[in-house]
Amino acid sequence: MLGCYDFCGHYEWTFEWLRRRGGESLLRQYWEEAIHRDSQRHAAALIAAKGIEGMKEYWGHTLTEEKAGWFCTSTEAVFRMDMHECPSKGFLLRNGLQQYHDYCDHCMGWIGPMLKECGWIVDHQHNHGGQCWWELRRHDDPAPASQPGQLSGLHDVRLRADWKRSAPLDTYVHTNDPDDKTIS
Amino acid sequence: MKTPPLPYQDTKAVGAADFYFAINATFRFILKQLGHDGLRQYWTDLGARYFAPVTARWKADGLAAVAEYLRAFFAAEPGAQVEVRQSPNEVTVEVNVCPAIRHLRAHGREIVPCFCDHCQVIGNAMAAPAGLRLEIEGGNGSCRQRFVRC
Repeated sequence: MLGCYDFCGHYEWTFEWLRRRGGESLLRQYWEEAIHRDSQRHAAALIAAKGIEGMKEYWGHTLTEEKAGWFCTSTEAVFRMDMHECPSKGFLLRNGLQQYHDYCDHCMGWIGPMLKECGWIVDHQHNHGGQCWWELRRHDDPAPASQPGQLSGLHDVRLRADWKRSAPLDTYVHTNDPDDKTIS
Repeated sequence: MKTPPLPYQDTKAVGAADFYFAINATFRFILKQLGHDGLRQYWTDLGARYFAPVTARWKADGLAAVAEYLRAFFAAEPGAQVEVRQSPNEVTVEVNVCPAIRHLRAHGREIVPCFCDHCQVIGNAMAAPAGLRLEIEGGNGSCRQRFVRC
C-alpha cells in the first residue's frame, strides 16, 4: 500500500516520474489539477469564503497535523507565514531523497493558482533548506513585501543565521505564476 | 545497530491522514492523462524503484523482514486496523480497516474505482525480486493480503 507516513518521499518521486513522461508542463498540470482542484480543494473553499480567517484555518490544521515548525502573523490586509522547519522538505533532506530538481516548486505550483482564483497575490521566498516565508495580500493591494522583522518580529525566518545558505534563494514578487521566480 | 524496518524515517510516529487525498487525486490524474496502462506503469515503477530498499531487505532477510516491515508500515498509518501473521511459507495481513479508504470515505472524497489495485501492483513489484508474490482477497475497505513464496 502507498502510505501517508512517507508521503513526501513518493510525492517527490512522482514529480520526476511525471516530468519524464510529459515534461515540466505535465507536472505543472498535475499540481494544478490533482493538488489544487482535487486533493486540496478544501483550501480554496475555506479561503474563498473566509479570506484570512480561512487561511488561518487551513494552514493551522494542515501544518499542525504535519508537525511543522512555523509561525503565522496577520493583519486585516496580509497573512504571513514563516516556515522554520518545513515538514516535507525536512523529511526529504533527512532521508537523502531527491529525484526532481526542485521539490519546493510544488507549493507555488498549486498555491499560486489557487490563491489567484480566490483573489489573493503572493510574495514568497524559499531557501531549499526547509525554510521559507509567504505574504498573501488581496490582488489589488500594491503594498510590497515587508522588510525582515517588520511583520513577524523575531519569528521572521529571514533573521535566521542560516537563512542564506549556499543553495540558491528562489524569490516570487507579487505573482501567482509558479514559474515567475528569480533565483539568486 | 539494527536497521529500522521502514526505509525512510520521519520525526512523527504517524503520518498525516489528509495525504490520502493527494494519493487518490494522483491516481485520478494519471488515469485521466495516461490511461490504465500508464497508471499501472506508475505503480510498477514505484514498487520497483522507490521501494527498492524494502525489497533489498526482503531479499536478504526473507519473510521475517516482510512481517517486520508490514507491522511497522501499518503502525505508522493513522486509523489502520490490521493483524500481521507469519508462517513458514507466507506472511498474511488481515486489513480489517484500510486507513486510506476509511479517511477518504469519512471526508466524502470520490475514490478512484481502481484505487485498491495499487496494493496488488506495487506489492508485486516489490515482492517479485525477493522471490515472493502478493495475493489479495477482498478490497474496498478491508482485505486479506498474502505474501507467499513463489
